[in-house]
Amino acid sequence: MKPDVWHIGNHELTSRFFIGTGLFPSPYVQREAIEASGAEVLTFAIRRINLEATEDDSILQHLQGKSYQYLPNTSGASTAEEAVRIARLARASGLSDWIKVEISANDRTLLPDPIETLKATEILVKEGFTVLPYTSDDPVICKRLEEAGAAAVMPGAAPIGTGLGILNPYNLGLIVEEAKVPIIVDAGLGSVSDVTQAMELGVAGVLMNTPVAKAKDPAGMARAMRLGIEAGRLAYLSGRISKKRYASASSGYEEFKLK
Amino acid sequence: MELVINGVKQELAAKTIEEVIAHFGLTGKPVVVEADGAVLTQEQWTATEVREGMKIELVHFVGGG
Repeated sequence: MKPDVWHIGNHELTSRFFIGTGLFPSPYVQREAIEASGAEVLTFAIRRINLEATEDDSILQHLQGKSYQYLPNTSGASTAEEAVRIARLARASGLSDWIKVEISANDRTLLPDPIETLKATEILVKEGFTVLPYTSDDPVICKRLEEAGAAAVMPGAAPIGTGLGILNPYNLGLIVEEAKVPIIVDAGLGSVSDVTQAMELGVAGVLMNTPVAKAKDPAGMARAMRLGIEAGRLAYLSGRISKKRYASASSGYEEFKLK
Repeated sequence: MELVINGVKQELAAKTIEEVIAHFGLTGKPVVVEADGAVLTQEQWTATEVREGMKIELVHFVGGG
């Protein structure tokens, strides 16, 4: 079997698991989980440095010695303007020109603001960023983001951190059918069955943080998710059977039944 | 000189951004600087002089999804 590679822009990927770096109980557990996940892309947030405790060093020091593609996000932004500012700061780090546009419109649901997300995507694409917007699971907005030049589009399965799984598999299926860029399910997944379902729907990858970081055994869960992604992907490529209302025997040989 | 760093007023002797970074012990660390709304690359730190009341943001990558 030839390797199942895929691309974001010109960047070739083999793993379909993007893993977030928040909420892990310790840097050691985080590193173990990242290794177990097989992920090649790691997400981060951008925040002010705590000037009272600068020896409390950056998260990056714990990831040295391995090469990852970094995907900083614009979390904390509630407008396109704020997201663009965070994106420019992230790129000035010299670590990555990828940006996950994340613009939340509501503190309780953290649901994305699709209009601001589209505005930010248009600006950042013009500035040469590789833009991966996190947005709602709406086929029309996903298409609009693709047309605006997004390198991949990342619809949410459910609100961030809820672990509710895919609330609208019908929409997600439509989004995949229409897309010419990779679709990555971002946010709201909780279990291996959720990620397998996402991959069976034909998405190119999944982005997860909380379901791994907050599991009892994050490294164990990271590996389980990795296997679930592989299983779902292989099932998608292999083609599931269609559903039938009534039984059909699997043995056959109807005329040779013992009488 | 009074500077506003990460939203807090501070009295610092620094003349350049480079010296502000050094003051906080951040030299060599993956820090990004914004001065009065302009994002600076690391090469610009020594040449960028600070001025009275300048708003400086010192940011970095943290864990996030």
